Formats: sequence, structure tokens, C-alpha cells
Amino acid sequence: MDNAIEIKGLRKEYKGFRLDDVTFDVPQGYIMGLIGPNGAGKTTVVKLIMNLIRRDAGEVRVFGLDNLRHEPEIKARIGFVYDVPRFPEDLRLETIASAVAAFYDKWDAARFMGLLEEFQLSPRKVFKKLSHGMKMKFSLAVALAHDADLILMDEPTAGLDPVFRFELLTKLRALIQDERKTVLFSSHITSDLERVADFVTFIHKGRVVFSAAKDEVLETWGVVRAAGDGFRPEDVPDARGFRRTENSLEVLTSDLAAARRAPLSGAVFDKASLEDIMFFIGKGNAHA
Amino acid sequence: MLKILRLEFLFNRRQVLIVLAIFTAYFAYMVFRIDSPRVFVVSTSIMIGLAMPFTILGREDKFKTAALVCSLPMRRSTVVLGKYAATWAAIGLGLGYTLLLAAVFPFSKIQVAEILTARNLFVVLFLISLIFAVILPFTIRFGLVGIIILLVGFQLFGILALILSQVLGGANNPLRVFIRAVADGLRTLLTHEATPGFLLALLTVGVAVSAASLFVSRALYVRRDF
Repeated sequence: MDNAIEIKGLRKEYKGFRLDDVTFDVPQGYIMGLIGPNGAGKTTVVKLIMNLIRRDAGEVRVFGLDNLRHEPEIKARIGFVYDVPRFPEDLRLETIASAVAAFYDKWDAARFMGLLEEFQLSPRKVFKKLSHGMKMKFSLAVALAHDADLILMDEPTAGLDPVFRFELLTKLRALIQDERKTVLFSSHITSDLERVADFVTFIHKGRVVFSAAKDEVLETWGVVRAAGDGFRPEDVPDARGFRRTENSLEVLTSDLAAARRAPLSGAVFDKASLEDIMFFIGKGNAHA
Repeated sequence: MLKILRLEFLFNRRQVLIVLAIFTAYFAYMVFRIDSPRVFVVSTSIMIGLAMPFTILGREDKFKTAALVCSLPMRRSTVVLGKYAATWAAIGLGLGYTLLLAAVFPFSKIQVAEILTARNLFVVLFLISLIFAVILPFTIRFGLVGIIILLVGFQLFGILALILSQVLGGANNPLRVFIRAVADGLRTLLTHEATPGFLLALLTVGVAVSAASLFVSRALYVRRDF
């Protein structure tokens, strides 16, 4: 399987935050979701791929090319959607598009206008008059208008209504039917990722917790529940986090099959959702 | 390069025209009041040289479009070159507009032919290069906050110079000698007849200062996080 993005040992340090030794690959022709709680480092990773911030160490290769040495060639093949669109607020959509279009050899004006029509956006509308959702739609139209091989999106669904979120996710799904195209998007809305992602990379406190096929994660990770003091968190194989309430204990494991085989009296086993994983690792008592 | 120039034009054309419209009254007053082409050239250069970078880079700062520009397929060094070129182009437009005003304004005391001498053009280029050299690296690295830092820095420097001049006392202390030398240099620039050597030296300094400024701006911009 070819990789659209290869990230190795990526580091970036800010005051009070460190992205530490981040390593993962994004296979070509698939959708990868980058998940994690707020402040986990998702946006930092996306910005490092786009070289919008300087890395302290590590390597980012996009389509097999170093993202610093081959910056223009790589960016010509990326459709990028910011979490907050950064367009001049007082300009018409057609003016913004005209300015941006010149940078892309494969810009397709007809496709762009088609997308605007599909999103019910008038090209003569001024950007600041758009709602947040409409701004995101415009960003998406710009990102999709030059036949990009990689769509890179930072929290594209945050703050959007469910109808447009569904539309957006459906569009992303349709996009990768052409097996050449790849999508990487960061989100903390796990239901969006469960709906469309083929692969998931989970980041927490600047470190990659796992990077794997979504179905594999949903199959192998689980939550073990028990009332009272039937077992301790450390009794559960591959425990990754736990939550104790007055009358119960819940433990997240990354090996549900092994947990089922373990002698855990009174335990109930469930598959973990991405939300469970994010909750236990992000908010519960995390185990190394 | 042409693409980034076009982008800057499309993003800023309206504001540049608005600024020129606002300055129309000022320029009209200038051509009505001032009869010295040299004073006109100097004051106009400073005015335009300050207003255009503020307009173009201020908008970028306001809308945070630098992040958009840096996500486009080009290197950051090209982005910086584009900013310099766009600002120079806007300044050229502004200077052309003032010349037009001087030519068509009925009460103008300035003759366009008097302004359009090689010497005056060199002085314009030199002054704008100096303004650019100081302003642009600060603005490119820190946005409009950079300008505030710069202005506060100048204020503090002025206060410090004043205090030092009082403390050191005497007409021939090193600080006063230095200030006198700068003042004499500017007087020479403004009043002495130009010789080819003088103009060449002026041009060389202007080009060197601009190149150094561009070099510094590029180095700063490459290190900037968005």
C-alpha cells in the first residue's frame, strides 16, 4: 500500500505543549481521521504537514517528497481546509477564488462554480456575510476545485449543523472512490470519524496513542465493566485507562479478546467506541 | 511571482484606492501650499511610503490571510518578494497619483516637470527604501504589533537621546556631533546640486538597504509560525 503521507519522529515544542515523536502514515486512497481531545496536538500536526509552523525535528513526506524541499510541488496537490477560514472578509467569493485559482495549474473553474451552486453560495456574495457553515463550504469548494490528490482538513465539521456535516462526510466518501485521492482530517467529533474514516490516528498530549485501521480498533478495543470490587484495573490485560465510580469500575483495554480470557469475576465486556477511547484516555485515569 | 502580485492586487486594490481617495485632500492641500518641488517630493514620499505598507500589510494582519497565502503552492521567500513588489507597486501608483494631482489641480504651485528630475526621483527612491528597510521586516515578522513596537522603540530612543544630550552637556559632545552629522547629511541630500557620483552613491545605498531589508524579512518570515 502506497502512502500519501509519511510522518516520522515529528517534534514541535511550544511553551506548555510538546508534540513528541509523532510517527504515522496515511495510506493513499483512504480517509484517515486524526482524533484527540482539544489541545492534543491535532492542529499542530496538520500545520506541520502544511509547513505553516516550523518543526523542531522529524520528517514529513507527502507523495514521497520532503514537505520542505518540495513545498510548492506538494502544496499544488493538496486541498487545504482551515478550522477557521482565512480569507479577506470584505471580498466577494469570486474575487477570492480568482486570486487563489492562479496558483493551481489544475484549477477547474467549471467545477468550482458547480460546487458553489451545489452549496448554494453566490459567487458575488461577500465573504463576511457568510455564516460559519457557509464559510466552511466555500473553503471546501476552493480545496476541491483544483483536483487535489490529498485533502487536508483541520476540524472541518466543528461548529457545523448535522445536515451539512452529513453532506460533507458524504462528499469525502465520494471523493475517495477515485482511489488516487486521500483525505486526512482532524476532528474531536468521533461520530464523524466512525462514519467515514478508514484509518484512525489518536493523539493525546502530543503523542500518538495508536494509528490503525478503524475497524481493527473497534474490533480489538473494549470496555470491561464490573460492579463493586470484582477486580482491579491492573488485572485487565492491556488496560489503557479506567474510571471508578462509587459502585462500579470501567476499564478500557486495547485487547478485548485477552480481557475476555482473563479471570475477571463479574465482568461485562463491550466493544469500545472511538468516543469511549477518547474519554478514557483523555479524561479517565490513563494507563501507560 | 506574478501570481502573488496578482493576488496582492486583488486582495488590496479597493483599500489602496480608498487610501488614495482619503489622501486626495491632503495632496491637494500640499500642491496648493508648497512651492518647493524638493519639499513636496520628500513629504509625499514619506507619506506614501508609510501609508501603503500599513494598508497592505495591515489588511493581512487584520484578516490573518498570511496563513492562506502560506498554504498556497509557493515558497515563503516568494511570498516576501511578492509583498515587497506589491508595496512598491502601490507606492508607484500613489506617487503617480500625486503627480497627476500636481498637474491637473488648478491652484497647484508645483510644476510636474520640476518634480520629474533624476535627482528628485533618486531622492524618492532613497527615502522610500529607507522607510521600507525599517518598516517591512518588523511588519512581516510581527504584523501591526511590529509597527507599534518600532514606534515605541523610536520614542524611547528619542527620550534616551534627549536625556543623554542633557547629561553630557556642551555643544560638542559625541551625541550632538552625531545628530549634527545626520542633519548635515540630510541637508546635503535635499539642497545640494546633484553630481552623477552623488546620485550613484544614493542609488547604491538605496539598493543595498533594500536588499538587506529583503534578506532580513525573508529570514524572519521563514521562521514565522501561523
